[in-house]
Amino acid sequence: MPINFDPPLSAKALRDRPSGFANPWFQLALSVVCVLASELLLKQGASDTANRTSAWSWTGITGLASPLVWWAIFFVIISFLSWLYVLRYVPLTIAFPLSRVVDVLVPLSCWVILGETISARRWCGIGLVIIGLAIVAKPVARLEERL
Amino acid sequence: MTVLSLILIIIALITFVAGQLLLKRAMEFTGQRGFHKAKAIFLVSSGIFAMTISFFVTLGLLQHFDLSYLYPFQGLSVIIISLMAAITLKEKLTMQLTIGALLISAGVVLVSLS
Repeated sequence: MPINFDPPLSAKALRDRPSGFANPWFQLALSVVCVLASELLLKQGASDTANRTSAWSWTGITGLASPLVWWAIFFVIISFLSWLYVLRYVPLTIAFPLSRVVDVLVPLSCWVILGETISARRWCGIGLVIIGLAIVAKPVARLEERL
Repeated sequence: MTVLSLILIIIALITFVAGQLLLKRAMEFTGQRGFHKAKAIFLVSSGIFAMTISFFVTLGLLQHFDLSYLYPFQGLSVIIISLMAAITLKEKLTMQLTIGALLISAGVVLVSLS
């Protein structure tokens, strides 16, 4: 793979981005929050409706019996729409890694809200994700500063 | 873990990656030529179709396994999507982005293993 040190976002694409609610970075954050909500709701809904004896259970269709799954679907749709909007402005190689900030937010929200403990190994994982996010976000932040 | 569950995990991962790439392609296309073109509609609907398969297969897997067991596989999607976006969509994948994506993937796997 050729090593390429060019900034991956063109300055023009960033300069032309809308501001306020239509800002792609705001929409990325909105998408992440909705994914966080849907993940938690989906797991609870799936657990509530788990029926291992049903032949259909492997398809996930039986999960629709839970209202929590429908709420999760609602949040998935919102996050999907804002994600589509993000894709219009931001390359996938930047947008997708940044969207995985949700993998830090899920264990942290379990720790803060539900009082679950976080093991040493899990803290290491959270640290790795944060370092990775910082590395991906750095060239973007530098470009934003320049504008 | 049975062979069936492994196959379902791989199907969920492949359809998820394919869905993201199709949607990105669709949004690039509509950015240039608008939504009314048949190709744009085809790209968006096939992206949504792939994501829907991934959604229901994941939901089915969640009824049988803990989220902590299934999540390491989702973590791999970061590095796979970055590589596939560079190959199929000709996006620039810098050294910095590759290292970042690798660290995020490794971190997600580590978070979900413990």
